[in-house]
Amino acid sequence: MRACPHAALLVLLGSLTALLLAASIAVGYAPLDIAQAARDWLHGDMSLPALVLSELRIPRAVLGLTVGFTLGLTGAAMQGFLRNPLADPGVIGVSAMAALGSVIVFYSGLAGAFLLALPLGGITGAAVAVILLYALAGRGGSTTTLVLAGVAISAFAGALTSLALNLSPSPYAAMEIMFWLMGSLAERSMLHLELAVPLMFLGWCLVLSTAKDLDALVLGEDTASSLGVHIPGLRLRLVAGTALSVGSAVAVAGAVGFVGLIVPHLLRPLTGHRPGRLLLASGLGGASLTMAADIAIRLLATRPELKLGVVTALIGAPFLFGLIYRLRREGP
Amino acid sequence: MNLCTDELAVRLLDPARLLSVTWLSQDARISNVAAQARRMPPNRGFAEEIVGFRPDLVIAGRYTTRMTVALLQRSGVPVLDLDVPVDVAGMEKQIGDLSILLGEEVRGQKLLSGIERRLAAIPQIPDKEKPGAIVLKPNGFTVGRGSLVDDILTRAGLRNLAAEQGLERYGQVPLEIIADARPDILIVDGEPGDGRTLAFEILNHPLLKHLPLHIVRLPSRLWTCAGPGVVDAIALLSRAAIDVRKERRGS
Repeated sequence: MRACPHAALLVLLGSLTALLLAASIAVGYAPLDIAQAARDWLHGDMSLPALVLSELRIPRAVLGLTVGFTLGLTGAAMQGFLRNPLADPGVIGVSAMAALGSVIVFYSGLAGAFLLALPLGGITGAAVAVILLYALAGRGGSTTTLVLAGVAISAFAGALTSLALNLSPSPYAAMEIMFWLMGSLAERSMLHLELAVPLMFLGWCLVLSTAKDLDALVLGEDTASSLGVHIPGLRLRLVAGTALSVGSAVAVAGAVGFVGLIVPHLLRPLTGHRPGRLLLASGLGGASLTMAADIAIRLLATRPELKLGVVTALIGAPFLFGLIYRLRREGP
Repeated sequence: MNLCTDELAVRLLDPARLLSVTWLSQDARISNVAAQARRMPPNRGFAEEIVGFRPDLVIAGRYTTRMTVALLQRSGVPVLDLDVPVDVAGMEKQIGDLSILLGEEVRGQKLLSGIERRLAAIPQIPDKEKPGAIVLKPNGFTVGRGSLVDDILTRAGLRNLAAEQGLERYGQVPLEIIADARPDILIVDGEPGDGRTLAFEILNHPLLKHLPLHIVRLPSRLWTCAGPGVVDAIALLSRAAIDVRKERRGS
């Protein structure tokens, strides 16, 4: 496939993201005159349309954008760094561990103690998972090792999440495992946005700062080192960036799978197979996919609402099968 | 073997005749008869425990502990499956039938006449002036037509907006729809929760704070079961309805 000019691709993906953001704000359950709502809101008139726009539609849409961006970006970064096509926060257990961290903080009541506890719980969980993975599977380790390590971490985190919810005194807790394992953007508020977005943004900056180094890394670790890439520093930035962004994303939206897996693969041929270039493109692609999935959920309007992870898994799982099939054919 | 049937049994039976209630009935947060229930041994609805009490009759709820009920019936223990009434009239009929079956007609009549007297004391509000209300339960569930809670709302002098929107029985509603229906009163579960479950998060959504509505906290033990507690729920909601109506006239 022909690599199109990189700037053009980014503009295209950027416009797609903007378009889907607008669509995500426009789609809802009750009819809403967006123009009227925006006018009221800007004039400080808290009318009903303004409230629905500012407290429901916008937080949901922006959260979809930022969570999706996080997943696409970190998926691309992990695939680039580990040189492993199956690296994705969902597949290898980072999201599951982030969910576990959030669940422990949330149901122990710590989340009520201080505001940042919830995202910090998610970030800690994600960090433990990323460090474990790098220790277990390492860079350039075989795909099998990585996936096995991921399966182990996912299963472990899933079981402990379930245990934590069962131990919670609330009768509702046990039912909430769906949210943490599948993810959802339903009825999120400005509070969630304020809590998670600054930390996600910090994580993005760290991950995006590795773009040049990831490109150099394609030539091999030795060559990259001789080009001035400080590998331990690169690793640290990736670990910290992934943990920060995925951890806080999961803390407010649950573990949404497959976005970080599909998007980098779709966009890789279009970025000339350069992992550094792929980062931003993949982030935008992830944002678009997540918002599109969330729009689909609201258009389908099942009651209770479908979980976001259900839709992304429905798209992602067949894609994963295809990927494995291709790996087998190309493999030894 | 069920929170709701326990309450009826406790209220109707001579304490000496009741061998055991579920552990749920001993929890004052959800049970109206916790004090009396704590005087007898609890069960968790497992067949082995129940058989150990050597009961002459086991009273079960229609939709709970189904495995245990099946086991008990197979081993020859008489089980009475009580249905879940969907309105106040059904509840009264159930109390009457059960009291006859248990041979406690006097207690039953007393309980029923108390309910009737208190229901009759609920003031009526003309249809046009009835405030609109929506029930918001944890996880964003609400109640529509054909449910006990709908009957509670109607008898309290409220219009159930969810029922008017065509919702049947029980379902989840997005906050957007709730805001769009412009209720005067939002009825939520009494305990605000300790912030440790997502289920209650929806009840604390900032949107609700900005909407011009009255939030009425109704303790869930009053309206979970079709029992005499329902009358307290109706009285509580009726007072809220009257307040809102007064305020509306004032403004």
